[in-house]
Order: sequence, then structure tokens, then C-alpha cells
Amino acid sequence: MQTVLNPSMQEAADALIGNLLASEAFVRCQQAHARLNEDRQAHTLLEQLSQAQADLRKKQANSGVIQTEIDNLRTLQEQVQHNNVIMTYAQTQQEAVNFLREINDEISQLLGINFASFANHTTC
Amino acid sequence: MEDTVLEDIEIASPSMVKQAARDFAAALAETPQFKAFEQAAYAFRQNQAAQLALQAYQQKQQSLRALLMLNALSAEQHDELERLESAFITQPVVQKYFTAQAELATLCQALGDALSESIGLNYAAACGVSCCG
Repeated sequence: MQTVLNPSMQEAADALIGNLLASEAFVRCQQAHARLNEDRQAHTLLEQLSQAQADLRKKQANSGVIQTEIDNLRTLQEQVQHNNVIMTYAQTQQEAVNFLREINDEISQLLGINFASFANHTTC
Repeated sequence: MEDTVLEDIEIASPSMVKQAARDFAAALAETPQFKAFEQAAYAFRQNQAAQLALQAYQQKQQSLRALLMLNALSAEQHDELERLESAFITQPVVQKYFTAQAELATLCQALGDALSESIGLNYAAACGVSCCG
């Protein structure tokens, strides 16, 4: 069932979203994400890394990993770590996450509860 | 690292974003769900029977922790723990607290979902919250 927000709550949520998206941390992250989306080489590299990781996991479960596959994964990991576009995106995303945590602390301090814990859908 | 061009973009300063966060918290504090939760939490804290029932349950749980982790409780220990848990959670003040907590969680989840969808990050996960809070 969808929760209906009262107008002042909706307004405050919209204002917070607008401010977050206009913050330096989020603007940098959005710009880095856009650059990543436009960069074919970076995209291919991430796809190759993801595929190599999935293949290795599958083979590890079947105890069939060979050294060349591990070497291939390491090479891809090194290439990713030397790719400016990917690393800029990773770093800006981490900065956005750090800023979001500060914002959650601000909200939680005033309420006396951890807002993110209450907003979490997952339960043990 | 590549430099990001921020010229020509109106940036919200950290203090502006934090003010928006405080306004958001103030609006949430005014909702019926939050007020009901605060009242229920206060009533729970003030209720001696509920606090004693909680204490008894937690003490038993603590004393059986090692066996619980090994899933090695005897039938009697299991029954005793269940009896203490039931004695705690069936207290009307505790039930009211859990109901208020669930209703507040529903509201916070809706707000968290709206935030997550707009900012492109899972709010709760980004804030380091696991299933156990």
C-alpha cells in the first residue's frame, strides 16, 4: 500500500531532494556518471571485469579455477584502477555517500532515532 | 582524477543542505506517526512491568547466548525463553510500542524510497544500515 505524505512532509522531502541533488558532492557524482556513460572503453572494461568475476565465482564453486583466469582478472582490475573515468566516478560516488551520511546524522540527531534504520526495508 | 566543471551550476552549500535536512526532520517530527511513536516509547519506558519483563527476557537470552549461537538449547531452556519473550511482547504497552514503531517505519520507508529514487543511491544502504540496523 502506498503511503500518502501530508503536504508539508512532501514539501520538506522535495526540498531536501532538490538540495541534495544541487550539492557539490552530488553534482560531481552526476557529472562523473554521465562521463562514464559516454565512455565506451570504460563501459567495456567494467563489463569485462564483471564477467570475469562472475566466471571465476562459478568456477570456484566447481573447483575448476585456472591460473590464467586469475591473472586475467588481476589484469582487468589493474586496468580499472588506472582508468580515470571509472576511478573518478568511484571516488565521487563515495564522496556523495559520505555527504549523505552527514545528512542522515543531521536528521537523526533532531529526531532521536536513526532515520536510515527506520527507512530500511530489510529485516533480519 | 579528472576535474569536474562546476562553473555555471548553482551549487547548494553544505549548510543549505543541512538546513533542508533539519526542516525535513522537523516536518517528520510533526507527523501523527512520529508523535504516536514518541508517546508509545515514553509509555514503554515508564511502564515498570514492561521494563521488568524486558529485563528478565534479556537476562535469560544473555545467559543462553552461547547455546543459542550453537542452536543447542534444551527443550526446557527453549520453552523458558519463549515464555519470557511472550510475557514481554504481550504487555499492552509493548504491543502499542511495536505498532507505533511499525507505522513510523512505513512512513520512513516511503520517504527513504522517494529519496533513493531521486538521488540514485539506496538511502538506507548508503548510510551503512544493515538488516540489523
